[in-house]
Amino acid sequence: MAWYNTTANASDTVISTRVRLARNINGYPFASRLETSGANEIIEKVSAPLEAAGFRKINFSDLSPVMATSYVERHYVSPEFAKLESPHALLLQEQTGLAVMVCEEDHLRIQCVQAGLALDEAYKNASRVEKRLDEDFDFAYTEELGYLTHCPTNLGTGMRASVMMFLPALTRGGYMDSLANQLSKIGLTVRGLFGEGSGSAGCMYQISNQVTLGITEQETLAKLRDAITQIIESEKRARDAISGDAMERMTDRILRAEGTLRYAHMMSSSEFIKLFADVRFGIALGLIQDVTYEQLGTLLVEVMPATLTLSAETTPKSEIARDKLRAQRIKSVLNAKA
Amino acid sequence: MLCEQCKKRTATVFYNENINGKVRSFSLCGECAAKMREKGDIREITSMSGSFADPFSQLHDEFFGGFFGIPLQKTLTAQKKCPTCSMTFAEISKSGRVGCPDCYTAFQSELRPTLRSIHGTTAHTGAVPARHRAKQERNERLKSLKKQLGDAISQENYEQAAALRDEIRTLQAEKEKEGN
Repeated sequence: MAWYNTTANASDTVISTRVRLARNINGYPFASRLETSGANEIIEKVSAPLEAAGFRKINFSDLSPVMATSYVERHYVSPEFAKLESPHALLLQEQTGLAVMVCEEDHLRIQCVQAGLALDEAYKNASRVEKRLDEDFDFAYTEELGYLTHCPTNLGTGMRASVMMFLPALTRGGYMDSLANQLSKIGLTVRGLFGEGSGSAGCMYQISNQVTLGITEQETLAKLRDAITQIIESEKRARDAISGDAMERMTDRILRAEGTLRYAHMMSSSEFIKLFADVRFGIALGLIQDVTYEQLGTLLVEVMPATLTLSAETTPKSEIARDKLRAQRIKSVLNAKA
Repeated sequence: MLCEQCKKRTATVFYNENINGKVRSFSLCGECAAKMREKGDIREITSMSGSFADPFSQLHDEFFGGFFGIPLQKTLTAQKKCPTCSMTFAEISKSGRVGCPDCYTAFQSELRPTLRSIHGTTAHTGAVPARHRAKQERNERLKSLKKQLGDAISQENYEQAAALRDEIRTLQAEKEKEGN
């Protein structure tokens, strides 16, 4: 079972939590100056203790682009990592949501992704792996600057904690700009997901810490947790404020979205994102009872282009074939429980 | 700062866009930002800290370009090299990334203003690797002993001062033996 099809805390407003720790090994230059032999050496050295701890090693240099992209869609690696040409590998333990990218921008990116709001758990898991590797490796570190990273924006703790939030009411009410503005003042950033071109159709945003130096891991997590709690409250208030005709229109839109998801013959991924947001909102508002967050979480990964293509017995040859396949996959996931 | 569109309300949205090197930036109030987005003049805001996206290269260009009025590439600092990986400061400024862990020592003073503007501080307070912990604890112990020694001397408590001095000497000898 992977992180994206499990039940979780605060599902009404939070989709997932991710914590990553950036580490580099002394004695090697950073990624942009690292030679192939050095990269291979790091991959080999790091793999041994992690494989012994039950991680699966995936050599990205041998993967097809579609396979590599499907790891991006499952949030185990960054899009940049999937595209790298130099040697790079992933060590993955799916049950715990733990993924270590080796030779990405930093030598090691130790991360844990969890469904729902789970900052402490994600940090604890990532930190456990980090401690294990700290026994074997001399991490680049100075007392003044903390863990040394390729990019100075990650110096210090090397930790980036991010929470993927689902904020349909704040999005429709036009509050996202001012929210993002407030958060930037306290060292947090907001990034829209699935936002390019389609606007904020998915109503999904990643909230994360910007600052990593001069603040402890615990302080960062506490600050983020406080902000998330407040955003959840604002989103709930904005949801409660929808009433009268607006609520009628919203209900109509949500139920139509469910109908389309269940019965469409073809579905593009951009249409899916819009309908996903409406149906997810419908569950939160109590308008839809026979679709679960876990089913939607599964879909959000499994009907993305690369993962969808991989799940097919024969690779869909055209866009129409792929959109048909997506519609079928959606139907089968939604009907599995109903 | 006032919104550059209406010139009435305070600017709260700072929009930076870099499409294939074509840079545009606006300081807007929430209302004008919404209007411009509706008209399609600016794109959906996907990252609010647009100005943070690449603070490093941006700041250095501003610092060197604006402050000294000389293009960065021609300054002496720009040509300074890291003794370990031979990355120059010009390359660091351009890419926004250093070449190896030693670059942080080699370019310590050059990097400090940038670190301060990114993080607001230049001193780490988080986790410590196991092999540094003993060292760090010793440094903290030394700091505290030196303070106690000062106090003991000012209170004319020479017996205690002598004991403290001996402990400091032992720790310092250990430190020198390990080379730092």
